[in-house]
Amino acid sequence: MWIYIARRLAQSIIVILGVTVLAFLTLHLAGDPTYLYVSERASEEEITDARQRLGFDRPLGEQYLRYIGGLLQGDFGTSLRARKPAIDLVLERLPATLELTFFALILSLTLAIPIGIISAMRRGTAVDGGVMLLAMLGQSIPGFWLGLMLVLFVGLQLRFLPISGHVPFLQPLLDGDINTALTNLPQTIRHLILPGITVGVFSLSRNARLVRSSMLEVLSLDYIQTARSKGLPERAVVLRHALRNALIPIVTLVGLEFGFLLSGVVIAETIFSWPGVGRLVFNAINQRDIPLVQTAVVLFSFMFVGLNLIVDLIYAQLDPRIRLN
Amino acid sequence: MARTRFLIVVVLALLAFVLPASAQTPDDTTLVIAQSVDVGALEPALVGSRAESNIFGHVFGTLYEITETGVLSPYLATGYTISEDGTEWTFTLNEGLTCHDGEALTAEDVAYTFTRAADPANAFTGNTVGFVLPSAGYVDARADSELEVTIVTDRAQSESLRLGLLSEVYIHCKDYYEATDVATVAENPIGSGTYRFVEWVRDDYVLIEKVEGFTLRDAVFNQIYWRVIPEASTRVAELIAGNVDVIANVPPDQVDAVNNSGVAMVQGVAGTRRMYVGFQFGEAFADAPGYEPIQNTDVRVALQYAVDVPTICATLLGTECTRAASMVNDPNSNPNLTPYPYDPAEAERLLDEAGYPRGDNGIRFEITMMGPRGRYLNDANVVQALAQYLTDVGVQTTVDIRDWSSDYLPLVRAKEIGPLFFLGTGGSTWSALYDMADLSAPDAGTNYTNWANEEWFSLWDQTAGLDPAAESAVKDQMLEVFYNDPPWLLLYFQPDFYGVSDRLNWQARRDEKIVMYGATLNP
Repeated sequence: MWIYIARRLAQSIIVILGVTVLAFLTLHLAGDPTYLYVSERASEEEITDARQRLGFDRPLGEQYLRYIGGLLQGDFGTSLRARKPAIDLVLERLPATLELTFFALILSLTLAIPIGIISAMRRGTAVDGGVMLLAMLGQSIPGFWLGLMLVLFVGLQLRFLPISGHVPFLQPLLDGDINTALTNLPQTIRHLILPGITVGVFSLSRNARLVRSSMLEVLSLDYIQTARSKGLPERAVVLRHALRNALIPIVTLVGLEFGFLLSGVVIAETIFSWPGVGRLVFNAINQRDIPLVQTAVVLFSFMFVGLNLIVDLIYAQLDPRIRLN
Repeated sequence: MARTRFLIVVVLALLAFVLPASAQTPDDTTLVIAQSVDVGALEPALVGSRAESNIFGHVFGTLYEITETGVLSPYLATGYTISEDGTEWTFTLNEGLTCHDGEALTAEDVAYTFTRAADPANAFTGNTVGFVLPSAGYVDARADSELEVTIVTDRAQSESLRLGLLSEVYIHCKDYYEATDVATVAENPIGSGTYRFVEWVRDDYVLIEKVEGFTLRDAVFNQIYWRVIPEASTRVAELIAGNVDVIANVPPDQVDAVNNSGVAMVQGVAGTRRMYVGFQFGEAFADAPGYEPIQNTDVRVALQYAVDVPTICATLLGTECTRAASMVNDPNSNPNLTPYPYDPAEAERLLDEAGYPRGDNGIRFEITMMGPRGRYLNDANVVQALAQYLTDVGVQTTVDIRDWSSDYLPLVRAKEIGPLFFLGTGGSTWSALYDMADLSAPDAGTNYTNWANEEWFSLWDQTAGLDPAAESAVKDQMLEVFYNDPPWLLLYFQPDFYGVSDRLNWQARRDEKIVMYGATLNP
């Protein structure tokens, strides 16, 4: 297993290097970033000065190598806009994004599994049809539209939940301030519900359909018939025998799902004014704050690759037929 | 059944836990303002956006202050004198000033503010070092006494222009800023104005609180939250929900929703940003279709008659507007100039006379109009409408819309846009010359059209150091030159929409600044 992990880590480094090259080139190919750091009335001389100060006058290769050199020494660079180490800025925002992502993931999985099971158990009935119709809607609705509708209907018309904003839970927890974290928790959840639904509804719908089809496949297998013929209650057949096998493809998806949700938080963070990494990166891209974008990209790549590795290891534990080599 | 009942009870308990009545409405001593973007850093020398200067204007004092009517009013300084050759400006400070950490604010601190911003070692890129100091011809600053500070410049300049420029520098004390690294002060500013900095949660809010005993400006509210709400619909929803007092940039299509809410109203003001279509004179476009016709003054004048600006405002910007008669904001413009009317027949007649009759296919000539998306109010649609108006008089106009930050802005700065391009540039209420400084020289960075009218630039060189009456006369003469040989297709001053809670007595300004000193609660 250790050889497998080492090999995967080596592959990850190549992936991350590739991602940094792509991100670097994309940001630089989109025009000279200097113009975003000078006044709209700056003269050509002032623009040239700023270009030199920011280091954008150097050849692209040199800029990239300088960046990678710093990265190898643990230096992610300094944000051009905030004048602060880029890694600090990203880590500062990461807890808010993780709160949102995990909430959406939990929401998605905890609802998708029972919905999928019920739908599979009642295949062909009105319940199954209704659930699948809703799931299809959930996959079709654009996130920004759903977010705005939630703001207008739940937040503004019904006044059930906050329209926007964030109350931190994870950050005080990480700081060791458990009292504040617990005090904040109810407000954190209140603020999480609308953006969490916005982020998670697509994934919920997809997973519900996946659980349903997976359950239908497993329920038709011989060993399930055997279990039933032995006189086991239907609940035990479904939950103990069918579900465990039906969940294997879901577990595989969770790693990818987390990455998918992370990439999808930008819209929810913007609509609900959620101070997370998604908005940070979105603004950094607009402002061409290259060190900041690179840092976020590298960090997200690490997380994505790491999570997939963990999922692969869990997968092997869940299904003994699967060998890591 | 018992299990179902248990589940219902659990769900209800959870709902009760997370769904108490919403109670975000600010109290009577607190103001909440929502802007679309956050500050990049709380460093006064890095301020580069209006959203930032709105907050900094409350935390930091300036030598003078620009009022809502465009008057330059003493603030930290009580007055100033100018040396005979116009290059040295000596400001006298109020007595007893302090920064928010208690340090006395003296002439040495003001001089330090300028020298620190200009120090290349600090590599600042904000408005102060990128625009104010070079535009004012800044050379050095020195403390002459405890209360007198002299700003040394390299040339004489219009008095109102230089005073306005120097009034954009946020003054701070030396000891703290000298002893603290840039990264630290960028998160923990010590100001010199009406409010002190309390807390900044990135992309969430900046909280400032009133400085007790600060007498130079009256502040009614104890605290101001500057919230960051990027999505316009969310800002509007927060305003209508009563959680926010003032929101900036209300989209025109949501003005009615706010006005009908019964809790807030939209204030629309004609902003100071001049919106225009530039005619490109740069030879880089010599081979582009339409370049040659627009070099002809008569064609450029003819095209002024072809566009119906009030209709564009009413239909695409959601407000009435008066067409601009010059590049200068009222009341500083030339009062004798009247906006070109919408008269397509006159446009066609002038184009015929200029030697560009309609061809058999009804087209006089073809041209491309470039424009940005997402920078100005409804920009892409306005460009489409303008192109259609020009096409209607036989100038077949193709639209080329580009993303603002990645594509359009670099082209603008490199002067590689045209032959027609849609643009807006910031203006002022306090100086005609500030507005005209876009065209301060044929090779000025902001002369995006590469216009080279000799009479204009000769007159510009005469403006330095004139008394206000003489300066005004030259300005009027220059604006006539501009009107008759237009490098811009004159459009409108971009309207700004602010949503304002009914509980608040506050008036929006034209210059995009949000200043809350004078705001009070309605009885």
